[in-house]
Amino acid sequence: MQTWLEPKYFAWLEQGLVVTLMLSVGAGLCATLLGFVLAIARTAQHAAIARAASLYVFAFRNSPLLVQLLFWYFGAAALLPPDWMTWLNTPHAVAWGPIALRWPSFELFAGWLGLTCYTTAFIGEEFRAGMRGVSHAQEQAAAALGMGRYTALRYVILPQALRIATPPLAGQYMNLVKNSSLTMAIGVAELSYMSRQVDTETFKTFQAFGIATVFYVLTIAAIEVALVVWQRSGNRALQRGRA
Amino acid sequence: MSGFDWLSTLRYLLLGPFPAGPLGGVALTLALSATSAVLAALIGLAGGVALAMTRGIAHLALTAVVAFFRAIPVLMLIFWTFFLMPVLLHVDVPGLATVVCALALIGGAYLSHSVHAGIASIGRGQRDAALSLGLTGWQALREVILPQAVRVMMPSFVNQWVSLVKDTSLAYIVGVPEFTFLANQLNNRLMVYPAQIFLFVGVVYLLLCGSLQWLANALLRKDASAYGSKR
Amino acid sequence: MKNKIWGAVLPALLTGLLAVASSAAHADRLDDIKRAGVLRVAAFDSNPPFGFVDPKDNQIIGLDVDYARAVAQSLGVKLEVQPTNPANRIAFLKSGKVDLVFANFTITDERRKEVDFSTPYFASGTQFIAKKGTLKSPDQLNNLRVGADKGTTNEQQVRAKYPNATIVAYDDTPFAFAALRTGNVQAITQDGPKLVALLARVPDKENYEIPSFTISNDYGGVGVPKGETRLLDAVNATLRHLEADGEAAQIYDRWFGPKSAAPLPRLFKIGDPQKSS
Repeated sequence: MQTWLEPKYFAWLEQGLVVTLMLSVGAGLCATLLGFVLAIARTAQHAAIARAASLYVFAFRNSPLLVQLLFWYFGAAALLPPDWMTWLNTPHAVAWGPIALRWPSFELFAGWLGLTCYTTAFIGEEFRAGMRGVSHAQEQAAAALGMGRYTALRYVILPQALRIATPPLAGQYMNLVKNSSLTMAIGVAELSYMSRQVDTETFKTFQAFGIATVFYVLTIAAIEVALVVWQRSGNRALQRGRA
Repeated sequence: MSGFDWLSTLRYLLLGPFPAGPLGGVALTLALSATSAVLAALIGLAGGVALAMTRGIAHLALTAVVAFFRAIPVLMLIFWTFFLMPVLLHVDVPGLATVVCALALIGGAYLSHSVHAGIASIGRGQRDAALSLGLTGWQALREVILPQAVRVMMPSFVNQWVSLVKDTSLAYIVGVPEFTFLANQLNNRLMVYPAQIFLFVGVVYLLLCGSLQWLANALLRKDASAYGSKR
Repeated sequence: MKNKIWGAVLPALLTGLLAVASSAAHADRLDDIKRAGVLRVAAFDSNPPFGFVDPKDNQIIGLDVDYARAVAQSLGVKLEVQPTNPANRIAFLKSGKVDLVFANFTITDERRKEVDFSTPYFASGTQFIAKKGTLKSPDQLNNLRVGADKGTTNEQQVRAKYPNATIVAYDDTPFAFAALRTGNVQAITQDGPKLVALLARVPDKENYEIPSFTISNDYGGVGVPKGETRLLDAVNATLRHLEADGEAAQIYDRWFGPKSAAPLPRLFKIGDPQKSS
């Protein structure tokens, strides 16, 4: 019926996969750090901070990612002063020895920003759920031992909270990889964009979408496998009395 | 834009070209999400029950199918159902149906997972007690396990529905005239108000999802308190 | 619960089988259109003056829509317009969601393998629009970021002729223009007449210009599903008839004539010989 894709188009899809992975890792790292901060802000004793954090979570979790991306790309770009826009659009290069880092294109930047803000809200909630999952007795025991709030957080609550939160966190990372497909709407040359591109040029719809789907499923499966490995190692460490 | 223009533009965003054309805008968004939610719930219940009741190869195959639909991005599945389903089935499938299909399948996969977990969370004791009273496996499921499991799973269902409302915005990519599509069309026409337009779109979705969640929580609380008082 | 699902799937499968069986019979698309009383057409919704939304009544109007309406009238059916962007045109046609494509659809041999084309009814060439003073000759393109519409011949031509240019493909022209405005790309490419019309409607038009060079000669035709010869003949007959009784010239005048927003002289009439690219 139809032949395989030519190597040129397969290479396009591979490039798309690389961009997807780069985008996901970049947004994932930032979202994890910020989500952490957000979770602590949510449980802060200052009412204003806690409420601001709640508002952030409400706003970013209840609007579609697509709309957020469109806003960052078109809306924010229109609102920022033109000098900033020129700076954001010129390719800057920083060379550290053999590694040369290039400033990403604006759509990649906007895509990363949108994904980070969106995912931070969800990861923040997972961390908060993890902290709540640690029994209150732990907090009380830490207080009884004379630990301040932050010492208790650092040595008692958070290690346990992180262990509880890790499986849902892996789920959020998987969602992040899937959500990165939406950045195609603002022109980021990631995997879905490339599969559409190959389809419009070669009309081999089945092959183009098929290969892209396989790439996505493999990536998600890899995260799943990493989670299982982590869980097994956690249990074994517990059994050896080191946890 | 004069005052009159604001009103007609707002009406266009809320209803689309209806009645001079097909339904669109926010009304279509709500219709799409409601239909997908109902279908996803049905698929989810069926899938979850199947996961709980089957063993061996069937269970493995079902787990693989559910895992596949949870691993594929919604956008890719919409591409599949939109571009390829009509070609494969040789049936003219309207654009709406393909989007509903994709959303229902993915929502159904997630809900199957939740339903299965919910059923498993009802202790084995309940099932054993039901069986020892002479109920068949299916009767035990229908009369004893599911009512309790559904109560546990309701938050999952509500979360999934909220997700569906947000995911309907993806229909924009395949030309379905729902709210995001029309707002984008408006932005293309006006050209110089992108921030305001997309901010407005975000706020409307916030209101939709927020009120949906609030409504669901209010109903659940009433239901929970009624259940509590009956004991 | 499972019975309910099977209860819905089985009839759907049967319907599918019946549809396959019936399509093997001799009823073709033209008969289907006449029986349904509706001609479904894909047209642009954000590309004046070919297809765009009229702010007064939120209906889609334009040059392509006028041609579509003429075809619908000659078939004696109503017209239904499905809004589309360049990326979705062929998909809509091939999946049967529309019967015809009236969307500034350039005729190419590659596309001929997937769809049939009517006799051309519009001629244009690939041009560019850039901020004033940035683009003077086509060779500069190799160093620029160029915005294009996904699924258009403009995109493919620039990629073929200027391999060192960075091409960013967007779903539709207004997207690409927004990218031009924010400086994300330095130039965007589309058919000349479309760019002229776009520039005329832009609020800050004095900042942009369309350099006079073109890099191709293209002809736009109506997209018809492959193999639907009776439908194709009907469309061709209508187009030739429109030219013969002057209505084609009137339609052109309405959108590109001296009183329109972006006047362009009419250099191509339906039935004229085509220049090679």
